[in-house]
Amino acid sequence: MDIIKATNVHRKFGEGALEAHILKGIDVTVAEGEFVAIMGKSGAGKSTLMYQLSVLDQPTSGNIEINGVCVSQLHEKERTAFRLNTLGYVFQNYALVPDLSSEENVMLPLLMQGYTWTDAKERSHHSLDNVGLKGKYLNLPAELSGGEQQRVAVARALSGKPKIIFADEPTANLDTVSGTQVIDLLARLNHESHQTIVMVTHEREYAMGCDRIIHMEDGLVTNIEQLK
Amino acid sequence: MRALRIGFLLGFRQIQRANFWTTTLIIFVMMLTFLNLIAVSGILVGLIAGAEVAVRERSLGDLIVSARDDEDRILETETFVRELEAFPEVATYSVRYQASGILEANYKERRNLQDERDIANVRVTGINPDNEEAMTNLSSQLIAGEYLDSNEEGYILLGALYTEEYAENFGDIFETVSGVGPGDTVRLTSGNVSKEFIIKGIVQSKVDEVSLNSYIPEREFRRVFNRFDRNADQIVIRLTDPKANAEVKAAMVASGLDDLAKIQTYEEGVPKFLTDIKNTFDVLGTFIGSVGLIVASITIFIIIFINALSRRQQIGILKGIGIDRHAIEIAYVLQAAFYALAGSLLGVLVTYGFLVGYFDANPIDFPFSDGILVAEPIGTLYRFITLFVITLFAGFIPAWIIVKQNTLNSILGRK
Repeated sequence: MDIIKATNVHRKFGEGALEAHILKGIDVTVAEGEFVAIMGKSGAGKSTLMYQLSVLDQPTSGNIEINGVCVSQLHEKERTAFRLNTLGYVFQNYALVPDLSSEENVMLPLLMQGYTWTDAKERSHHSLDNVGLKGKYLNLPAELSGGEQQRVAVARALSGKPKIIFADEPTANLDTVSGTQVIDLLARLNHESHQTIVMVTHEREYAMGCDRIIHMEDGLVTNIEQLK
Repeated sequence: MRALRIGFLLGFRQIQRANFWTTTLIIFVMMLTFLNLIAVSGILVGLIAGAEVAVRERSLGDLIVSARDDEDRILETETFVRELEAFPEVATYSVRYQASGILEANYKERRNLQDERDIANVRVTGINPDNEEAMTNLSSQLIAGEYLDSNEEGYILLGALYTEEYAENFGDIFETVSGVGPGDTVRLTSGNVSKEFIIKGIVQSKVDEVSLNSYIPEREFRRVFNRFDRNADQIVIRLTDPKANAEVKAAMVASGLDDLAKIQTYEEGVPKFLTDIKNTFDVLGTFIGSVGLIVASITIFIIIFINALSRRQQIGILKGIGIDRHAIEIAYVLQAAFYALAGSLLGVLVTYGFLVGYFDANPIDFPFSDGILVAEPIGTLYRFITLFVITLFAGFIPAWIIVKQNTLNSILGRK
């Protein structure tokens, strides 16, 4: 069953002579529990596509359906609630709140979902344990390495048990060892909990653990490579 | 509720992890703003309040008894005084007889009758020196000579502003006699009656009723001014509990004393212009303080704006992961509230722990009063609430501006 279904998605920026047509009619589907990588050269539109699919941006035209909801029709408040309850994010620059400890960073979406402080803390510890950060609950982001910070970000994305996790070049700022650890972690979570993962990357070796690779060029899907 | 909880978590942690010296500086600025709000109007009002305190202590007391509007003097003054003494709340009192006379000096040296006489129209108050001393501590206002003795006759206390030497700083606005001091002889005339007095002392006070007055014993007053009915012009009363003056006045009225005289509390009897000036200064002080308030709100606006702007990407990410925008706004409002609260509390501490006591002990020496700092708790509370509410707005607006920006643009740092 397709959990993401994008039909004829266009995204333009600017107007008149300055108009840039980034996505030129994308048709993509992602099945539930699938681990998909989006690859392409710089400027191919892979990140822009991910922003449309992850409800962070709205397409100029076309339709996107996620988990049976037509997200293109949602208002800002509904989109925020939809992201909170259905989606998880891992950004390339870790995107942690610097003033909050690891556990508090992970607790944020849980508290927003309505968990009590105690429950949120318990779940946060469980998520951090799951990404190999047991005992680093009280560390501030600045006290963690890049790889550890990205794992906190993964723990945050996972904690609310979202249907889909979007990862935007999660290894971009990491060394090879840390990068591999993060990709392995995502692959393990996908395998164990059957969460759908959509990842943008420009490094093929990190995409090799995925089920499929969607290749993009100049705003169009040029090839879909089935790996498993 | 969820937004509130997260807002408090984010806000609290931002305050907790902020640079100590930056936070201290912001709180210091807020404290100065609060002090500006309190002190400017407090000192302006304190100028008049100082004058009021002085008038109450040095002249009018807690209750003022004067002639009824339809009479020239207090009727049956001796009866009134007997009744007055029966009130246990009365600590002390002074009966005063008042009139105007002509004071002449240097008349013995005036050899040519064509020469101008050295005279001044003066206000004369007949007193019982002991009672007046107990009531107003008049002797403490002496700048030269000695205080009147109840057993002596032929002496006068002269207000400093009736002497040329002391009045010259005020230009030519007072009628004065020249070259007189303790030991000199002056002549007091009322109608056809004249009597010589030796100046026993010169009194000077920031209360004009003292500096522009001359005091003689009441029995001599009666002789000079032909006032043998013994009905006085004024009785000033000090109570054991000055705050109870309205209740004591009510008791006196209930006992029928108001048939003999008009009885007023100090607040009722204080000259209206003093109250008007006080109110005007209060408004003026509030206006000047408001400028500080605007500066404080702009300061907070800039601080929160820069803070939120430098965290724009983080704000975008928080929105991206589904955190309600109100939670983020609350975090910044909480910071502004913290700065306002901490600054104001410090300001309150400095005001009541130091400034009020300091100015009470070391009043500002103004020509017409000893200026104190007036910081009424209710006024302080009002200013505190004003500063707090304005700061909340000043914190909310920049947060709102940054938070309402497009989520993805914030995350990517795009304009």
